[in-house]
Amino acid sequence: MKQAHCIYQDEEHRWLAIARDTTKPGYIIDTNEYVVVHGEEALLCDPGGIEIFPSVFSALSAECDPTRLAGIFASHQDPDIISSLALWLEFKPDLKCYTSWLWQSFLPHFGGQDSTFVPIPDSGMTIRLDGLELQAIPAHYLHSSGNFHLYDPKAKILFSGDVGAALLPADHNELYVQDFSRHIRHAEGFHKRWMGSDRAKRDWCERVSRLEIDMLVPQHGAIYQGADVQRFINWFAALEVGVLRS
Amino acid sequence: MNAPEPNFHGIAPRTGELARIVRVNEEIKAIVATAFRINLMALNAIFLAKRAGNAALGFGVLSNELRRFAQDLTRHMASLREMTSGSVGSVTGVVQQQRIAAILAEALRLSGEGVPGAREARRRGATRLAEQQVRLRSLDLRLRAAVEETQQLVELGGVLARSAKIEAAYGGSFSAALMQVSTDFAEVIAQIKRSLEVLGKERLVKD
Ligand SMILES: [Fe+2]
Ligand SMILES: [Fe+2]
Repeated sequence: MKQAHCIYQDEEHRWLAIARDTTKPGYIIDTNEYVVVHGEEALLCDPGGIEIFPSVFSALSAECDPTRLAGIFASHQDPDIISSLALWLEFKPDLKCYTSWLWQSFLPHFGGQDSTFVPIPDSGMTIRLDGLELQAIPAHYLHSSGNFHLYDPKAKILFSGDVGAALLPADHNELYVQDFSRHIRHAEGFHKRWMGSDRAKRDWCERVSRLEIDMLVPQHGAIYQGADVQRFINWFAALEVGVLRS
Repeated sequence: MNAPEPNFHGIAPRTGELARIVRVNEEIKAIVATAFRINLMALNAIFLAKRAGNAALGFGVLSNELRRFAQDLTRHMASLREMTSGSVGSVTGVVQQQRIAAILAEALRLSGEGVPGAREARRRGATRLAEQQVRLRSLDLRLRAAVEETQQLVELGGVLARSAKIEAAYGGSFSAALMQVSTDFAEVIAQIKRSLEVLGKERLVKD
């Protein structure tokens, strides 16, 4: 079963990580879901696939009133990101789904109506959550051609979708990266193959380096914190991407 | 999540709805193909009657009637087919709603009692499912009525085929050939009758 871990709290402002599901069938890629709670509202980042909906929903409900969900942030269009959309809408029909304008007419194949989607322009946008301002940061071509990360300047957390993802062996179930050089080996193949554009990557590294980030939280694998954040950005900047094999 | 809870507010999930529609469609296709055969057979019979001349006047009239019957039957089947293709959408809606409802029910069960919003979500889902089922049921009724109407038409076809047999007896030197044609008619119509019986037993919604 999945569990929600509080990774940041400042009074009414919280980040929950729903991470590392050890009971899920092995043929489904393990995903992390994140919930930003602020005041009376909550935003769910990359809610995941249909198959894991029950465990994500119950993990979320254990820590936060699910009727407070105001929106879903979908970094991109992949099934492991957002194929559960219809189920979240079944629970709360007025949920808003923030996603790249590029996927606005694709995601309804997973559920929702025209009024469900808030298209994010290529340059990004501010998403408001009960007074808190979150930034949708462009990350196009990393790996999806319409791709966004979510930055919380107050909590100094960057939700980075598939960037920073590591496909960890089953016995590596720590929430935070413990040993960067050991961890990053499990991220290398993934980034080389999934990230398609070197130019987009360099641009992202440059922009993100200028942000104040305490935690970089990816959709797969463990969370980078403290010095590991910049370590990751440097590693990524130097990595050759868009290749089939090393 | 392996097996979703089978009960969602007393509505047992049904399986094979789409398979049932496929069966209905296949049966309709078979009848359409047979109707096409009757049409050709009737054309041949009309020519045969012409060659037989005065000896087969009555047979000629009946062949014309049978040809009209085949055309009516084709029209009936076209409208039946339209109905079933419309029902694919409705059935898919129900199947999807049931799947969603079952997964959500599992999520609510895992979350334990008293999750805020759970009761409302259940009620909304049950209402939507009930609405979809009402729609499917009325479609089912229409389909059944249409099948019954077609069955009556086919009864008429049976009468025509029997009369053709009687007329064939007066066909003089063409009698044997005419008899063969009218026996073929009777056989094909019996086949359509059987298909319609199967079709009449199919239900888009289980009671
Ligand atoms: Fe992806
Ligand atoms: Fe992913």
